[in-house]
Amino acid sequence: MEVQSGVPESHPPKFALPVDSEQKATEFRLFSVAAPHMRAFHLAWVSFFSCFVSTFAAPPLLPIIRDNLNLTSTDIGNAGIAAVSGAVFARLAMGTACDLFGPRLASASLILLTTPAVYFTSIASSPVSFLLVRFFTGFSIATFVSTQFWMSSMFSSPVVGTANGVAGGWGNLGGGATQLIMPLVFDLIHHTGADKFTAWRIAFFIPALFQTLSAFAVLIFGQDLPDGNFRGLQKSGDKPKDKFSLVFYHGIRNYRGWILALTYGYCFGVELAVDNIIAEYFYDRFNLKLHTAGLIAASFGLANVISRPGGGILSDVVAKRFGMRGRLWTLWVVQTLGGVFCIILGRVGSLSASIVVMIAFSLFVQAACGLTFGVVPFVSRRSLGVISGMTGGGGNVGALLTQLIFFKGSKYSKETGISLMGVMIICCTLPVWLIYYPQWGGMFCGPSNKHTEEDYYMSEWNSVEKEKGLHHASLKFADNSRNEKGGGVKAAAMPTDGVQMA
Amino acid sequence: MAARGVVLASILLFSCFLETCCGMISFSSLQRTLLVTASHRQALLKAGEDKITVTWGLNQSFPAGTDSAYKTIKVRLCYAPISQVDRAWRKTDDNLSKDKTCQFNIVKRPYSNGNQTLEWTIEREVPTATYFVRAYALDANGNEVAYGQNTDAKKSTNLFDIQAITGRHVSLDIASVCFSVFSVVSLMGFFIAEKRRARKSQQ
Repeated sequence: MEVQSGVPESHPPKFALPVDSEQKATEFRLFSVAAPHMRAFHLAWVSFFSCFVSTFAAPPLLPIIRDNLNLTSTDIGNAGIAAVSGAVFARLAMGTACDLFGPRLASASLILLTTPAVYFTSIASSPVSFLLVRFFTGFSIATFVSTQFWMSSMFSSPVVGTANGVAGGWGNLGGGATQLIMPLVFDLIHHTGADKFTAWRIAFFIPALFQTLSAFAVLIFGQDLPDGNFRGLQKSGDKPKDKFSLVFYHGIRNYRGWILALTYGYCFGVELAVDNIIAEYFYDRFNLKLHTAGLIAASFGLANVISRPGGGILSDVVAKRFGMRGRLWTLWVVQTLGGVFCIILGRVGSLSASIVVMIAFSLFVQAACGLTFGVVPFVSRRSLGVISGMTGGGGNVGALLTQLIFFKGSKYSKETGISLMGVMIICCTLPVWLIYYPQWGGMFCGPSNKHTEEDYYMSEWNSVEKEKGLHHASLKFADNSRNEKGGGVKAAAMPTDGVQMA
Repeated sequence: MAARGVVLASILLFSCFLETCCGMISFSSLQRTLLVTASHRQALLKAGEDKITVTWGLNQSFPAGTDSAYKTIKVRLCYAPISQVDRAWRKTDDNLSKDKTCQFNIVKRPYSNGNQTLEWTIEREVPTATYFVRAYALDANGNEVAYGQNTDAKKSTNLFDIQAITGRHVSLDIASVCFSVFSVVSLMGFFIAEKRRARKSQQ
């Protein structure tokens, strides 16, 4: 339940998990639902999962829908593009909303406001209405940003990659699970006697209801920060209210955010594009049944259960020894390999080889997503939401561009499109080489001895703001991020377990 | 280069033989020996409601004995070219096992000499498109050996349109609207409740 911080407490609350100076958990215990950290984790990933299920509920049923609504390949391509383009700006807006209002309200509001689009999918009757419902439903996957923001607020740097990776991965799982769930639900309804063209419409109520219920859970059981909710903390003075224009400004002027936005477009963006086309690809190319195509397509998204968390965990493990430089190198290598497997996927002609290569491709590309969000929490402290939003939005831009260039209409066969997409992945991952942190280094340059973590994070605040004491949270974060130097360097003075005495 | 060309050509030739010997039938190898007509009322046909009367039989201008191998007749509803544009899942392929032109079964009957007629009610699941009717004659192994269709070779005459069911129902429409309104209203309800609680804890 919520912690009411209207009255300042004499000592901070006790937590089930060990925490750092910012009350963020330094351990990640998957099977616990202890408030507030692990509970936030479970609420975040389940609500995000439901949004993914809704957004990608149409593709596995497209063989039915395309006949009911008289869609052409171009219509289908456009709807697929629309599904991922809405979230481009929604993710950026979401990032800002998290910085200002907190992830709990931001995500629950978005989820409840987009559920009507999912309900209205049941009454779509033309290519235009189909495109519109997919467009508005797609806004819901901006909850990715609130999920990552929430995890970065609840978990400390030794485990932030893991928390982000598991939450993001298990949410993205929805894109795979839906390829199994929707054909199953459709079949069940069809067997009770409904026409095919009615059964798919009824089936859409399932993801819609799931989405509604998960939003309620977030509102009732969630809280923004270990100490309480934004509004409560702002009113009690424990969390200073920041200005939107400054938060936004500091976010967009950080070039690292832009590079990560581009590279994320070519791991996550590619994942979304493939979620949209893979069922139809297997159905049409190998003449499979709807069921079977859905099963194979599902395995692509289902790999998220281990691949994206694996990427996050790998990021944290590598960082222990090699710090931020290790995180960057691993990101580049894994994502490039994903591109290589993508090229191969478009070239293989047999069903079994396609499945094997597709699984390899999914593992690498999704791990790259997890690795990206091992780097993102460190780009900015003040504008964490905006950076998360930019990166997340960049993911959707990548999905949009990829579908626009390679999978719209009948210009390229799907196989050719897939191979070309692989080439684009490799090219657009190269900018990782350019990311450089003065205090930690980059892929090819070592750190500068003159810069510390404090210098980097304090550069986001001017002297007036520092006089007001607005920068204290960033200072704590800078100290806690010292282990990104690598080689086992720990945070300087703070004890890392049990109760924090103020 | 020339040697490679020869190898490629011989592989292609071999695979063609392989196809015909191992059961992959090409449409262009079939003889058009059947006469097929399809008649219907003059308005837009509705799936699940309207009927089409199909007749088929051997074209008498062919010599007697042409139909000696015909054991079964398979009559199907096929997409006209205009309904195949930009829809790769309805593509025409000369290889009959890959061909997706004729996706709906009208009837499958043992072959008998003389003309046959059937009044077929259009199935409820037929999508909105332009169609023609084609009949395949199958031999004892179930392989196509001849065909006939109610349109010309270019598939441009005698086509007819069918309008599909929408699949929508009033109850679904109402449920969609109600649930949507409920989602938005409940969000507002939460906000109001939060504000009240925050105000109460401040007092």
